[in-house]
Amino acid sequence: MTKNNLKKTLGATALATTILAGSAFAADLRVNISADPSMIDPITYSELIAGHVISNMYESFTAIDGDGKVVPALAESWEPLEGNLGFRFKLREGVKFHSGREFTAKDVKFSFEELLRPGNKAGLNAPYLDVVVGADAMKEGSADTLSGVTIIDDHTVEVAFTKPDVLFPIYPIYLFDSGIVEEAGADWYNSVSAGTGPFKFENWSRGQKVELAAHSDYWGGAPAIDGVDFVVVPSAETAMAMFETGDLDVMMVDGPSMRRVLSNDELKERAITAARAQVRYLAMNSDLYEPFKDKRVREAICRSLDQDAMIAGLYSGAAKPLYGQITEGVAGYNPDLPKIEYDPEKAKELLAEAGYPNGEGLPPVKLSTTEPNKNQHLYFASQLQEILNMPVEVELVERGTHLKSINSGQTPFFAWGWSAGYPDGLYFLSQLWYSDSPYNRGWKNAGFDALIDKASMTADNEERYEIYHEAESMLMEDWGTCPLPVSTLMATVREGVSGVEIQPFGLVPFADVTIAD
Amino acid sequence: MLHYATRRLLGLTLVWAVALIVTFFAVRAVPGDPIMVMLSDHAGDAALEARLRADYGLDQPLAVQFLTYIGDVLNGTFGLSYRYVGSTVIDVIRDGMTITPLLALSALFIAVPLGLFFGVFAAVRAGSWADTGVILMLVAFISIPSFALAALLVWLLSLKLALLPVAGWGDPVHLILPVVVLVVSPMAVIARLTRTYMLEVLDRDFVRTARAKGVREMRVIWRHALGNTMVPIVTSIGLIFGSLLSGAFVVETVFNIPGLGRIAIDSVLARDYPVTMSIVLLFTVFYSLINLCVDLIYAWLDPRIRFDEATA
Repeated sequence: MTKNNLKKTLGATALATTILAGSAFAADLRVNISADPSMIDPITYSELIAGHVISNMYESFTAIDGDGKVVPALAESWEPLEGNLGFRFKLREGVKFHSGREFTAKDVKFSFEELLRPGNKAGLNAPYLDVVVGADAMKEGSADTLSGVTIIDDHTVEVAFTKPDVLFPIYPIYLFDSGIVEEAGADWYNSVSAGTGPFKFENWSRGQKVELAAHSDYWGGAPAIDGVDFVVVPSAETAMAMFETGDLDVMMVDGPSMRRVLSNDELKERAITAARAQVRYLAMNSDLYEPFKDKRVREAICRSLDQDAMIAGLYSGAAKPLYGQITEGVAGYNPDLPKIEYDPEKAKELLAEAGYPNGEGLPPVKLSTTEPNKNQHLYFASQLQEILNMPVEVELVERGTHLKSINSGQTPFFAWGWSAGYPDGLYFLSQLWYSDSPYNRGWKNAGFDALIDKASMTADNEERYEIYHEAESMLMEDWGTCPLPVSTLMATVREGVSGVEIQPFGLVPFADVTIAD
Repeated sequence: MLHYATRRLLGLTLVWAVALIVTFFAVRAVPGDPIMVMLSDHAGDAALEARLRADYGLDQPLAVQFLTYIGDVLNGTFGLSYRYVGSTVIDVIRDGMTITPLLALSALFIAVPLGLFFGVFAAVRAGSWADTGVILMLVAFISIPSFALAALLVWLLSLKLALLPVAGWGDPVHLILPVVVLVVSPMAVIARLTRTYMLEVLDRDFVRTARAKGVREMRVIWRHALGNTMVPIVTSIGLIFGSLLSGAFVVETVFNIPGLGRIAIDSVLARDYPVTMSIVLLFTVFYSLINLCVDLIYAWLDPRIRFDEATA
């Protein structure tokens, strides 16, 4: 080859590469995330941002569709074992991992074991397995395999429990490839993905973006886009500017930016929203502040807070009022709960009846929170001071300290939120208001506890939801908490991009997204 | 000269040791428990909490933690990041380590000649309308906060005129706006200093002598006069580099550049102690090395300094 020829060939190759790279870039969906994910694997998975990325690469027995409904994913069907002490799962056939290997029952067993193995720093998914027979032995290191999981055949697996847990099939336990350790080594999870999801891991430039590529063998059909770029953009203003100049296809909108989206007709038209799978509540711990023992005091406080005013003032309208402790979009939500009316006069009367006319005799109390929630708490304090003449002072606490204090039951008065781990109302009721929960927020009731115990053994959905309604009404009639507005989940989608859907837990994996032009 | 440099370097290691000790304890004195932040909503899981505490060595006495940290710094990993599971600090900051010095140094290399030029330009025209114009411009450049300038430039050049990308990294075009924002204030500071020193020097006898001898005016200004103002200006460059490093925090956040400044802010918010400590340490090292360079240049520009050191 002469020098000239070589030059020509190189030139042509470079041109071809440019064209290819150009077209590939155009068909990648660009989505913002506010920080780098802390991890990209399903074993240590333990935070929200990582969840956005991981949910595009890994799947569970079930998934949540664009309407917020649970739909079968890697399990096609399931039936309870004798006495609700486990499930027999029929696995989907013809599912391929990112490696090309087929997904079978042994991968289920492998995934569970890896999550429980000591030293694997398992995150959020691991506690869902506590109920499986043999989980304790694995966690302690006294067993190397999980005795509660039985492989019946390639596509049938039985999981046995130590006690009934009817919600197990909907837990988001990500399943992964049992051949991955052999292929990529013990620390595979920092460099490759081993899931069945519509996208596979490609590259992570820290501080810039996490790139995923389409999984062409995806069981739901190969994605129409080439991949997804999760672009790290910590500043909401920058994200907004990038969306406006077309540098982002989908913008996840957070708190302060919602106002700007809602006040701009063009952006508002491009917005998609969903009710967030999160409850918010005002906790009143009567062990720590005597007046909270009186139900009338609790009611007076709830009636002094105006949810509609909060939604307009604090959330720019992008929030929904809450009258119970299960949110819209989460299974078991009760749309018929009575509205809690804002009624300052009644609040004053109730407080007087409880023996504190015009707030006289109320000892001072601190309303504790962290810096990001300051405004909301200042509103609560000013309402309570004005209407009830209650001596409330807002106290700002560092986040880690605050979490420690509220979870050990040492904070008398605070508002906080709780995001659902799986799409069922039992999550909220059993974690926040069940007496034995480590996260009980200060209201305890034996009748309520009995209902929660009953619900966790009731496999029939409708029947179980009835029990939730009953328990929730019990909590609300006793004014165990004041429910607070829940902000809306919001994203904006660039023109020409279709198939982006949002559900109460976030954006639906981008398997069906298309980009025009 | 070599002797002088060695002595200075030894002094610096002492500074670094103090920085290491101070950052280690200061970071731990801040309220907040990183394990609680890691656990967040799952903070009630006592078994998980105990395991995480042991994994990260936070159950050890402070003295042991300190020794472990020194070991980690010496072996170059800087320990495990609290936020990024399974990553060492060096993994987290490796890319940023080149970005921030690159930004700060490119801004410095543009700001110094520009500043000298405007300073000399104004000084030789002292009292004229051109001088007043330059002074006004410099005052404006010093006064405008960098975040405001950044927002203005993004609005004008990226959003309205669509000439430059809003934010990002990886393409040379991404360097333009951040460097412009970083350059403006130090350039103005250098220009003002240069103008002041030049005015002083232009009045001195040796300048008059040079002119009397018939040396060309350009040579009088750029060689005789400016040459003699360089010592105080070079000294101030050391300080200016410090402000460039801290300016990088703002610029990296606004323009979404994954440099050390942005990583530092993220790590503080996430209570990622090992990352925060390492970045503070790195900034100390950069800053002190630049100041060492400045002092060496200073000694080279003014031989009396070396002489004093040697006889002292």
